[in-house]
Amino acid sequence: MTQTDPANRVIVECELTEPPEKVWKALTVPELLAKWLLPNDIRPEVGAHFRLLPRKDGAGSIECQVLEAERNRRLRLSWREVDDESGADVHCRIVRSIVTFELSETAVGGTYLRLVHEGFEVVAIAAVSARVIQLPRSQRRGIRRMRRPVNAMSRPAHLRRAA
Amino acid sequence: MLESVVFRALSDPTRRAVFERLSSGELTVSELKAGFPISQPAISQHLAALRSAGLVRERHEGRFTYYRADPKGLTPLAKWIDRYRIFWPARIEKLKTVLKDIDP
Repeated sequence: MTQTDPANRVIVECELTEPPEKVWKALTVPELLAKWLLPNDIRPEVGAHFRLLPRKDGAGSIECQVLEAERNRRLRLSWREVDDESGADVHCRIVRSIVTFELSETAVGGTYLRLVHEGFEVVAIAAVSARVIQLPRSQRRGIRRMRRPVNAMSRPAHLRRAA
Repeated sequence: MLESVVFRALSDPTRRAVFERLSSGELTVSELKAGFPISQPAISQHLAALRSAGLVRERHEGRFTYYRADPKGLTPLAKWIDRYRIFWPARIEKLKTVLKDIDP
């Protein structure tokens, strides 16, 4: 596996022994995706919204939308989550990014996988007052379960090292 | 620069718009004002907040002051990205083991 490090992108490339059809299943069937990534309700159709759930109670969920879905070849998702590790000052921000999985068949019938996570941008910033996160009304659409206790400001579950 | 200072500076939507406008090039206050329906003093106030958060730099030339976004000012997002540098390789390793168990 190789990992190149342009400053604002994460790229992981590797060769898998299984064919692209099988890798595509692992990417797009919810039960299989849950085994290696996160519990989810993915639907591999362009425009479909789904969530990744690092925690059973739904806190810290990642909201995704399928941007491109080319069977056995390319899956591109928008990836939207809350970063609430802002230290002592109670602000949190919503970070949007793009995740792309590119599959190509190798000469020996396996898959060359290229994963790019890029386009990181802050799309909204919320001020946390008391124990409630308040977003301006215009930014509340599409973000569910924003109410959570301030003392839950630990690293998002899916990004902890033990994962 | 404290992360909270950067976030607070970007918490106002107009201020974020000013910052984004300055990301594509240098502008004077009056050039900047042309793109926003607010007064010049208001623009200057936003610029001051962005400057003290390290997000915008200024340059003087003759009678003019040019402002531009300072990309280093958004460093806090780099930490967020760095977490994914650890997350994804670990996920892909897990994917490899999961693939072995999938029927064709």
